[in-house]
Amino acid sequence: MAVLGIGKAPKDSAVLPFYGTGAVFFLILSILMLVASDRFQDHFFQAETLALVHAAALGWGTMIIFGAAYQLIPVIFEKELFSSQLAFISFWFLLFGSVLLICSFWYFQPGILMITGGTFVLIAVVLYNVNVFKTAGLSDLSVQKLFLLSSALWLFITVAVGVLLAINLYRPYISSNHLEILKLHAHLGFIGWFLQLITGVSSKLVPMFLFGKSEKTKLLYSAFILQNIGLIGFVLDHFFFGSSARVFFYFLIISFGIGCWLSYLRDVYKKRIKKRVDIQMRHTLISFISLILALILVPVLVLLSGNQWSILYGVFIFLGWISAIIFGKTFKTLPFIIWNRYYKDVHGKKDIPLPKDLYEERLLVYQFWCFIAAFVFLSFGVLVNQLIVIRIGLLLWVLVALLYVWNVAKVFLHKKII
Amino acid sequence: MEFQINDSYFSEKNKALNALYQVLDPELMVNIIDLGLVYGIDFSSDKEITVTMTLTSHGCPLGEAIEQGVKNALSNDFPEFKVIVNVVWEPQWSFEEISPVGREKLGF
Repeated sequence: MAVLGIGKAPKDSAVLPFYGTGAVFFLILSILMLVASDRFQDHFFQAETLALVHAAALGWGTMIIFGAAYQLIPVIFEKELFSSQLAFISFWFLLFGSVLLICSFWYFQPGILMITGGTFVLIAVVLYNVNVFKTAGLSDLSVQKLFLLSSALWLFITVAVGVLLAINLYRPYISSNHLEILKLHAHLGFIGWFLQLITGVSSKLVPMFLFGKSEKTKLLYSAFILQNIGLIGFVLDHFFFGSSARVFFYFLIISFGIGCWLSYLRDVYKKRIKKRVDIQMRHTLISFISLILALILVPVLVLLSGNQWSILYGVFIFLGWISAIIFGKTFKTLPFIIWNRYYKDVHGKKDIPLPKDLYEERLLVYQFWCFIAAFVFLSFGVLVNQLIVIRIGLLLWVLVALLYVWNVAKVFLHKKII
Repeated sequence: MEFQINDSYFSEKNKALNALYQVLDPELMVNIIDLGLVYGIDFSSDKEITVTMTLTSHGCPLGEAIEQGVKNALSNDFPEFKVIVNVVWEPQWSFEEISPVGREKLGF
């Protein structure tokens, strides 16, 4: 028998600030969306829209994902996190950077504040990369590890391009069209950062949560190669030769990459032992459906004119795909982290609450159905360009955010019972 | 897990086994015996209990809590003994290790 030590969980300071702040950002994002509801009918290059996108991508998506990644990297890499202190420092840079960026976009003030905000985010990302690469080491490169490493690198490239764009808004120096580079920046983030991170983490966690095994790891390696080749090809071609019909070729490669990953998860789902799919996993299912909807929309986006397509694409990506997976995973991780904090030392001694007792599952079920309604109303409102429908959808989003924040706060404010 | 009746620590091992039924995997909400995580319980003449066990996954963030749970549960029933927990990864745990009771609790 091989005796090994137990991987220690990272310090709370490396994880909890991200979860708490991400939840607050989500509420702020939902309120801001309602305030700027008419922007859901405009071209995406509007001050408020850029602020909303950065609130969604950084304050909400990346904030929570950083926290979850610092918690889950030891599980995936089977090693202790390199530095909880670096993780905590990265939190402050990400927080202040996100706030500066969101404010400077909302009031559209290109200049020092916007560039400083971008630089702060870049520093947070460098610190994240140091932690990920130092924890990973170079041995035993599992496919999940490859995805986490590549996503961290793509995040660095995404944010670096973002800072260059912020400088260009203040003092124009890029000869190419700013909007074309902006599209590259966005897709580096979607496909490089979010997609690859979610692919890597989900291919480890979904089998654990569903008690399902798949032997088809070749599908994951294919996903890794196709997603990266497609993205590299798209970025280089678009940067050097501009927009062209070849975008469909890269889109197909990336779509096959996504297809391989989803096929792997489908195999896990089919072979699962645990038949009952809990509410958290149902969120994950909706997340994947949103991603597929976004993919279906890409040809429409390229071939048809109309502001609604790009806005709808953003809704599917940020509010459907990324938000749904965060909703589910929050309550698969946060209650355990808090439970570990309070009850680790008394576990086995007395009757103590379980992690599932730290949040209200009933509220999570309400949140799930509100989320479905919000998503459908908002998407339909954008599609038919009806402000009243958009506003109903956005009001429902505020409700979703309130339910989510309430449940997250309940976990955070849990009082130790014994 | 079964013990030989001629084992000199037969009754102590059974008592320890019962105590370990109280230790839950906080994530799965099933005790570690029904999950098949415990591979062995050994008593030594110098007042030591060694529990050889595994976890459902490497680097499990709740691993420390489960290890502590084992120590707490056994210290309650055997206050005069020192409890040692050996976490091992071979043989690797798999779903097949879960007892019928554990499967029922997990909704399989």
